[in-house]
Amino acid sequence: MSTLAGKKKIRPSTASLNRFGPGAQAGFHLALGLFALLCIIPFVFVVIISFTSEDSIRQIGYSFQPLGWSLQAYRYTFQLGDQLWRSYLNSFLITAVGTALSVLMCFLYAYPLFRKDYGHRSFFNFLSFFTMIFGGGLVPTFVICKSVLGLSDNYAALIVPMLFSPFHVIVMRTFFQTSVPMELIEASRIDGSGEYGTLFRIVFPIVTPGIATIALLVALGYWNEWFLSLLYINKNMDIIPLQYLLMRMQRNADFLAKNSAMLGADAARAAAQLPSQTLKMALVVFIVVPIACAYPFFQRYVVAGLTVGSVKG
Amino acid sequence: MKRFLSLILSLALILSLCAAAQADDLPTITIMFHGSNVSDDAAVLEKVNEYIADKVGAKLEVIWGTWGDFDEKATNALATGDSEVDMLFTCSWSADEFNTYAKNGFFEPLDEYMDQFGADLKAALPEALIQAATVEGPDGEKHIYAVNGFKDTATQNTWDINVTLLGELGYTVEDVQKLGFYGWGEIFAKAKEVKGDSFYPFLIEPAVAERMVTNSIIITGDSGSVNLLSYYLDPADVTKADAKYGDVILNKFATDEFAAFTKQMREYYLAGYIDPALAVAETSNDTRSNAQKTGSYLIGTQSYAYGYEYSAEVLSRGIEVQFLPCTDPYVDTTVSQGAMVAVSSASQHPEESFKFLALLNSDPALMTLLNYGVEGVHYTLDDDGLVVFTDARASYSPWTNGMGNVTLLPDTQAEGKGFREAFKAYYASGKAVPILGYIFNNEPVSNEMAALTNVAAQYSLALCSGAVDPETELPKFLKALDDAGMAAYLAEANAQLDAYLAEANAQLDAFLGR
Amino acid sequence: MTARRETASAKSPESGIALKKSGIASKKSGRAGRKTTFWLDTMVLPGAIWLLLIRYLPMFGIVLAFKNYKAQRPNTFWNNILKSQWAGLDNFQFLKSPDTAVMVRNTLGYNLLWIVLGLVISVTFAIMMSELSSRFFAKAYQTLMFFPYFLSWVVASYFVLAFLDPTSGMIPAMQKAAGGTVSNFYHETTWWPLILTLCNLWKNVGYSSVLYLAAITGIDTSLYEAAAVDGATKWQQVLHVTLPNIRTMIVILLIMNVGKIFNADFGLFYNVPQNSGSLYPVTQVVDTYVYRAYANTHNIGMSSAAGFLQSAVGLVCIVAANAAVRKLDPDSSLF
Repeated sequence: MSTLAGKKKIRPSTASLNRFGPGAQAGFHLALGLFALLCIIPFVFVVIISFTSEDSIRQIGYSFQPLGWSLQAYRYTFQLGDQLWRSYLNSFLITAVGTALSVLMCFLYAYPLFRKDYGHRSFFNFLSFFTMIFGGGLVPTFVICKSVLGLSDNYAALIVPMLFSPFHVIVMRTFFQTSVPMELIEASRIDGSGEYGTLFRIVFPIVTPGIATIALLVALGYWNEWFLSLLYINKNMDIIPLQYLLMRMQRNADFLAKNSAMLGADAARAAAQLPSQTLKMALVVFIVVPIACAYPFFQRYVVAGLTVGSVKG
Repeated sequence: MKRFLSLILSLALILSLCAAAQADDLPTITIMFHGSNVSDDAAVLEKVNEYIADKVGAKLEVIWGTWGDFDEKATNALATGDSEVDMLFTCSWSADEFNTYAKNGFFEPLDEYMDQFGADLKAALPEALIQAATVEGPDGEKHIYAVNGFKDTATQNTWDINVTLLGELGYTVEDVQKLGFYGWGEIFAKAKEVKGDSFYPFLIEPAVAERMVTNSIIITGDSGSVNLLSYYLDPADVTKADAKYGDVILNKFATDEFAAFTKQMREYYLAGYIDPALAVAETSNDTRSNAQKTGSYLIGTQSYAYGYEYSAEVLSRGIEVQFLPCTDPYVDTTVSQGAMVAVSSASQHPEESFKFLALLNSDPALMTLLNYGVEGVHYTLDDDGLVVFTDARASYSPWTNGMGNVTLLPDTQAEGKGFREAFKAYYASGKAVPILGYIFNNEPVSNEMAALTNVAAQYSLALCSGAVDPETELPKFLKALDDAGMAAYLAEANAQLDAYLAEANAQLDAFLGR
Repeated sequence: MTARRETASAKSPESGIALKKSGIASKKSGRAGRKTTFWLDTMVLPGAIWLLLIRYLPMFGIVLAFKNYKAQRPNTFWNNILKSQWAGLDNFQFLKSPDTAVMVRNTLGYNLLWIVLGLVISVTFAIMMSELSSRFFAKAYQTLMFFPYFLSWVVASYFVLAFLDPTSGMIPAMQKAAGGTVSNFYHETTWWPLILTLCNLWKNVGYSSVLYLAAITGIDTSLYEAAAVDGATKWQQVLHVTLPNIRTMIVILLIMNVGKIFNADFGLFYNVPQNSGSLYPVTQVVDTYVYRAYANTHNIGMSSAAGFLQSAVGLVCIVAANAAVRKLDPDSSLF
């Protein structure tokens, strides 16, 4: 140990020195940079397709270097007009409300599970965990939600079925375990704070990175969700989110293509009315951009935690 | 004060109106359609409800299923016994498999309602269509389980020929017919020579091409996504079975005809006449419709519907197109159950539902209203009385054939005067195949079917498009099918066919007094 | 922040003991304990109600796996379930297919490989990101890594197609230009285990490394400080501070992945290979098999049976994994 310390002088008060050297840093940048590039290129590809001319797609398929460019897809997109903006708004609304409620529920459920002095801890732990493995299946869940809970043709149908995730509870509980010391809670109790007071005033600030992470995952889940709309929205098409608008186009095209022999001329007729591939890609762009922009907001809390650490470390 | 009073008064008026609306207390019946593109139905439904209030005694609501959603929504509604869906589209080729759901009790038998309220409907529909919707129920007896749509009721597979290009190459449609599928190599070679290496002259839906070349038909009740079974027709006379095999159902992949077909396709594929993308399930369809749209093909496959050559899709290809039929138009079980509407047995209002369906399929005014929309809003009539659609049609376009009796509709300007009459005459000429009405009940062998479907999905498309070598792959395929229980599956289908034919003959004998 | 710094020093390897002590301490008075329990009960209540309604109530549906589900009179879901005949194990007959061995091998094989690879790569990436000196790049990488999560498999499949398409794809085009033989990727199984693995990592690494990164962020910085004072290099700190502290997260995610070992990501195996039949030997998994079978039979019993089987296998695996973990490291076990 002493030899190591001799080689590299460590001054605990200055954080900047407790770091990997420039060689390792360069290696990190290389690995992470390459992977990050790999992650963004397909999206760039989607953007390129959305600006590709239809002729080019017919001739050479999807390509990074199309034969011609076109703004037609975006013009079409804006022609969707009301429908587009309404479903955009719905997506925001559903995501915002869903995320807020879901994170709160997750936070409240996970906290007692972390408290070793909580008597019903193992019961509720199991109650949640078991549902990750066993479920009733799609059809029975649909029946309960629709006919018992009245989740049909309303916003609640798009929010409630995803409100709670045992997976997130376990992750949240793990965050509590790794970052909240029991003594803190004990101390807070001695100070006369109630359970809710302790939770929101003392514990909450410590686990912000965890909450931000869960919020991010939940928000993504809501933003990407379309199957609930398919299941529960029959008549009230005014409340469908953007993702469903896109998926419906996708599924229409798939169905027509698969059944063209059975539908004969009808399939060709209907296919002629279908939106083009470029339009679908333009919608993907519409879907991805807002959530990608929201990402740094969540990230602030996660990375803020990081920097607090490094300054102190 | 005055303004306030008038406000109160108008409020009271509105409230009383609402109360009145509630007071007349008609039950609501809901119908779920397929393939719709409808975003605003308020104007139409208002008129429809005015129209049917007395005649049906119910209010209509519509769930406008789209192509991509319908199967999921319909099977969910059926499986859950959803009483909020009274009527739904059904057919024999999609996920809401008519015969299975009827057999398993999910549909309401309509015989009694037909006797009571169906006089007009019976007059409006050909007897054969009512027969086609009469199938076995859970009690083992036959009942009418749906109101069958009167639309393109015969099927005709055709070679879709780019006559413009064919002329450039120095050939005629007669040459194409004379040379036949096995002799097109020279034409394709020439097309490739003229149009360049990236041009693929043979634009096919491989599974359909197989049926066209071997003159086989689909067996209703067979695995839907990849057919496993074949029945061979006599191409010269579609009312007869092929003389070589007779009245028997065959393993589609084990015949000499299939082997010869795949061998030829392999030859065409290796010579570069077939786009490799056609040989992969998920890219096949996009590729085909793109090439079709731009007219970049020489010979293709097309399930033909009357008037298709004059339709916008064909005209917009920018080439002259001719459809070369393989056989006369024929009627098989699948096409005779192509588009129907059934009443769910979970419905609380089966009587009103049937009354509505009977009216929809026999009353031109109602059919036109629900299909084309409101006159003056969604369409106008030109001087000849032909329908011209307005821009509002974009937000209200149901799938015409999925709704019912399309012969009740007025001709559109695009179709021209007399279209419906010619349409009816064409389909009346459809000839019944020998096994019309035979429905394979796959329940006893459903596990075999599940396994066989997966095996066939692995090999069938690649073989039918020539992407793999039949010399090596076909024997493997046949072996895998045997392992997955083909023998049992085939035996069950043939046992049922024999029983069906025996019964049909007995009925015929009884009819003839023998 | 004061509170945090004060307790920070107490939280160290011996904090486990401290936790236990405080656990005992809190149970000192029955009345206070009951009060605590009451308030904590109110916290779990919303979640518990949701679970009961949306997850437990529908569980009667498991019975469908053992029933020959048909419509009864009157046709309501409850009545249909109640009166439909028992089918014994008939709904499980789909397992008798000759494809069973292939799909089980593929499902388990890919899952095992991906659990290990995914874990190693995500943890490595998370540690790298936490150690970057540039905040800007740490943020940028993290944001970019999330992009695959936005794109559905259908969209991703177009991207793969752009590379592999036999006529216009980039790789065949390069092969053509180089004068070599052109691969027909969608009919040759050789490359697909690799392609699927890359796709899986591409999609999931960003997601799980964010979880690990958040866990690393939660590590008390004074631990690094102490290690540095002791003369530990950064590598040693990673080994002795970072990894032990995110151990719980690693183990939990691992156990949960093991529980899903019999489930596969449908879109990856169906859309990315463009549902090409020739590739089934390396792409057929339980989910795609059941989908293809169900698409033709619409046998709700069979799909319920398949789901039940996946759950049962998952339960066995998860309980086994948890028991193993409990032996080695009781603090990290799931339950």
